[in-house]
Amino acid sequence: MKFDPRKIRKTVLDMAYAGSTVHIGCAFSIVELLSVLYRNYLRYPENDPLNKGRDYFLLSKGHGVMAQYACMLELGWLCDDDISNYFSDGSNLKGLSDSRIPGIEVTSGSLGHGFSVGVGLAMGVKLHKTGQKTYVLVGDGEINEGPIWEGALFAAHHNLDNFMVIVDENGFQAMGSTQDIIALGSIQSKFESFGFEAITIDGHDEIAINKAVSDLWRSNKQKPKALIARTVKGKGVDFMEHDNSWHYTRLNQKSYQRAILSIDSGNL
Amino acid sequence: MRNALSDALVSLGKKDPRILLLTGDHGYALFDDFRRECTEQYINAGIAEQNMVGLAAGLARSGFRPIVYGLSAFIPIRVLEQVKLDVAHDQLPVIFIGDGAGFVYSHLGTSHQSTEDIACSRAVPNLSVYSPADRFELTQCLMTAYQEKSPVYLRIGKADRGDVHQLPIDIKPGKLIKVRTTRKSKYSFIATGSMVVTAIDVADKLNIDIDIWSVPFIKPIDHLTVEEICHNSEAIVVFEEHSKYGGLGSLISEISSSSYPIKILQIAVNDCFSQKCGTYEYLLQEHGLDFSTVYTKVCSFLQDL
Repeated sequence: MKFDPRKIRKTVLDMAYAGSTVHIGCAFSIVELLSVLYRNYLRYPENDPLNKGRDYFLLSKGHGVMAQYACMLELGWLCDDDISNYFSDGSNLKGLSDSRIPGIEVTSGSLGHGFSVGVGLAMGVKLHKTGQKTYVLVGDGEINEGPIWEGALFAAHHNLDNFMVIVDENGFQAMGSTQDIIALGSIQSKFESFGFEAITIDGHDEIAINKAVSDLWRSNKQKPKALIARTVKGKGVDFMEHDNSWHYTRLNQKSYQRAILSIDSGNL
Repeated sequence: MRNALSDALVSLGKKDPRILLLTGDHGYALFDDFRRECTEQYINAGIAEQNMVGLAAGLARSGFRPIVYGLSAFIPIRVLEQVKLDVAHDQLPVIFIGDGAGFVYSHLGTSHQSTEDIACSRAVPNLSVYSPADRFELTQCLMTAYQEKSPVYLRIGKADRGDVHQLPIDIKPGKLIKVRTTRKSKYSFIATGSMVVTAIDVADKLNIDIDIWSVPFIKPIDHLTVEEICHNSEAIVVFEEHSKYGGLGSLISEISSSSYPIKILQIAVNDCFSQKCGTYEYLLQEHGLDFSTVYTKVCSFLQDL
């Protein structure tokens, strides 16, 4: 199966171990979302990440970029050396998403940027009448950022029903739980009150993700779409799940091997 | 100058349907003609400048030519990170117009005044910075920005200081414009925006031979011409309605110090915010940029050489 979540998580671990990098937990929470999108929805004519007729996928929470790199490896846009040489001097792939890599649409890491750029792309598609879809994946912590809500008002005002925001609601941000830092309340209600059509699902259930995306696009309401995905930070590795220290913890040989073992023996 | 801006925008909009004019709910009467002539190309993005710049980046990526208008206190200062990451990083052809630069909004206070915009925008890679002095330079700057394939910040300051030039100009990007040349000048004045008129007035009153240059293109600038001016002058005075840090005075000093080091007097805004409310002329006085203070400073500088 293409974009197998286990394989994607293992690639993320390989990268994180090779580069001795952080942000593993926030890559793991979006794996199934990316799997379903790349497998069933994102169209790249001729498998060209720069094709003008492509759908747009913007990873606005650039901290989860290793999961996207893993998908891009499966698409053949990256090669094994990119994975094994992650973070080596002079290499191309950075720790946060960078738009100079074909397949990555925006430079992120400073949060709250991708949403507005996605709104601009969706508006451009409307004006050109070319029909592509725009997906922007944001973190729940990221929606603390003001421009998200500026963009939400604009997208709804202009009836951009070709725009979908996907919120990775893993309940954590860098320094702790979203509940303790800036409580978000109901994200679905917030987007609905901004004029979006919104659905909340289990963000690790591929069937549910697939159905929700399909239902949102099939709706005839001329509204932008919001998919709220309830996820687990660190999902897939037993000792990382719900443990926010894996936002910043690096792997050593022992924890790397334990993590691989956990994925192999998991019930995902 | 404002009529020239409106005319140039309408002319660009009618010529190229990819032009989209985005405003952050500013420019009340300025866009009447554009809205009438290019109705579908006008977007009021609301009081949401950060989103407006990201939006412009997305539109530019899908093949449009956005022109983003705001007060220079907001465009580019409030949105500097969006300008840097969403637009300049990818060299997207977005034109940013920052209006009312300097002390134009003298009565409204610091939130609407802008004397750090050149310094901030100059430091952003891939971003050009233009600062026209009159309607002819403004038209030339906007047309040049349209020809560019990368982003431009166009700074518009006090718009009613009169013409510097008699006729439309046609110069290459980066070139300085010779406003006045004399045969035996030992001194050069280099000025930008609203302060070009002041430089001319000071030279007139001094009644000595002085070359005067206007700088509509701050970045990139023709280094060779600046080096020549430094080489051929005993001293230079640089005039700008902008902080003395990081603006035109800094730029000329940077070039001079690495080519022909000479004495340079910076007529610029000191490192302070406005204290009081008043007319434009009053604020210039508070910051030592009014004609009489400038004249005294220049006299004293030239006498001490």
